[in-house]
Amino acid sequence: MIINAAIYLFGGLAALATLLMIFQREPVKAAMLMLAALLSTAGLYLALSAQLLAALQIILYAGAIMTLFIVALTATPAAWRDKPSKSRFIKMLGLAAAAVILTELLKVSALLKQTVFSPEFSETGTLDLARALFGQFTFQFELLSLVILASIVGAVTLAAGKRSS
Amino acid sequence: MEFFEANKDILLFTGIAGAKILAFLGAVMGFTALMTLAERKVSSLMQDRIGPNRASVFGFSFNGLFHPIADAIKMIMKEDFVPGRAQKLLFTLAPFFALVPVLALFAVIPFGDYVMIYGYQVELQIADLPLGLFFILALSGLAIYGVFLGGWASKSNFALLGAMRGAAQMVSYEVVLGLTLVGLMMIYGTASLQDMVRAQGSLLLGFIPAWGIIYQPFAFILFMTAAIAENKRTPFDLVEGESEIIGYFMEYSSMRFAAFMFAEFIEIVLISMLAATLFFGGWQVPYLYDTGFLFPGGPALPMNHYLVAALQAGAFTAKTVFFCWFLLIVRWTLPRFRFDQLMGLCWKALLPLALLNILITGAVLTILAR
Repeated sequence: MIINAAIYLFGGLAALATLLMIFQREPVKAAMLMLAALLSTAGLYLALSAQLLAALQIILYAGAIMTLFIVALTATPAAWRDKPSKSRFIKMLGLAAAAVILTELLKVSALLKQTVFSPEFSETGTLDLARALFGQFTFQFELLSLVILASIVGAVTLAAGKRSS
Repeated sequence: MEFFEANKDILLFTGIAGAKILAFLGAVMGFTALMTLAERKVSSLMQDRIGPNRASVFGFSFNGLFHPIADAIKMIMKEDFVPGRAQKLLFTLAPFFALVPVLALFAVIPFGDYVMIYGYQVELQIADLPLGLFFILALSGLAIYGVFLGGWASKSNFALLGAMRGAAQMVSYEVVLGLTLVGLMMIYGTASLQDMVRAQGSLLLGFIPAWGIIYQPFAFILFMTAAIAENKRTPFDLVEGESEIIGYFMEYSSMRFAAFMFAEFIEIVLISMLAATLFFGGWQVPYLYDTGFLFPGGPALPMNHYLVAALQAGAFTAKTVFFCWFLLIVRWTLPRFRFDQLMGLCWKALLPLALLNILITGAVLTILAR
């Protein structure tokens, strides 16, 4: 019963924070609301006893990615303006993007209803996840780290290129 | 009455957990208040001064023991000022972000093994999470928002500069902090702190306690360096740089500033507890087991269960106090880094060394397993 209540609580919080984020004009406050949504999603994972997923959600999304977002956002002029701009073009662009994302979400949620998970499949087991990552999918996993390494080298080259000239 | 009978388990669990939280966090808070005094006293000792000794109650000053109380009263009485251009909501939120994640981290620190109370086995840890180490990394990553929001919401250039430095520094050193702990996880085969401390109770070659420092001396040095950097204390205090930019909390006053300052001191206690737990056997006393001392070679000293539990909790406290003292000493021993040195140390020295440490640990473990 407590678990069900926690799931509804965190789910509701995540939905509410996301909704508020969409209607928030100031970029940094919107980012903070997104952080709230990410944290309540982590709480949702925790309620579903997926501890590793919850920890990774906070470490990666809330701890690393959102930090980057917020630091980058504060460097934009919009964050320093008291009244954010209300350009019609931006509004239309936002509406179009929202329409695309909504249709995709509807498609996916229709698919989810049909999918039946096999009983031995567990997304929450840390050990199973580790076994799959470092056993069955070792090659793909290592290949992925190579891609990340390549992107790091690329980013460093791009950033350092300007300084040498 | 029926309600109590039906929900006995959950009520008992909640009661015990609440008592543990009150006792442990109360002790931590009290100790932290004393740390603020210890910081000033150690500073004055190292600079050949007397230090604060004037605050007195009815003429008794106890060499300055009442200063934390005087400081607290002063902080509460000060004007709570919010700059006109500041973002009110975020400005208010920032001190909470600094304080709450750090306090939550004490939930996974084991401060003893267990005690039997009226037949119930009470674990001396608020919550034994199977993934305690990940929990620590996750929540310590959230502390960065306090620094950044505090600096940004003040809408002051000095504060923003401090916040930018803080964000860069904390994001960088967090990576190292996480990587230094991987070696320990590989050796003890668990991410639960209590299991890790229990594993450190065994003996190597029959007489050396299997503490983390024996297996991972290198990781300990890296961990302490990264932890001091995360804590933003000298020699890594570019975020504040007292002589140059004051820092992200420049516009804060009264209890809001106190929250930032208190968070820093709680972090010192937390780092000390983590160092003791991960590398120095936590509550383990060498050769002390459930039934009492059992020295290598035969001699034994049987002991009462409560005495054993008290000794273990005492050992944990002593180790924590030692590392707190160590962190206070470091402050006046090393000069501040330059910012490029700070980043260079992290990405060019600590990070490769931490990765190398993982590689060597993995190689040794693989060879030993053969």
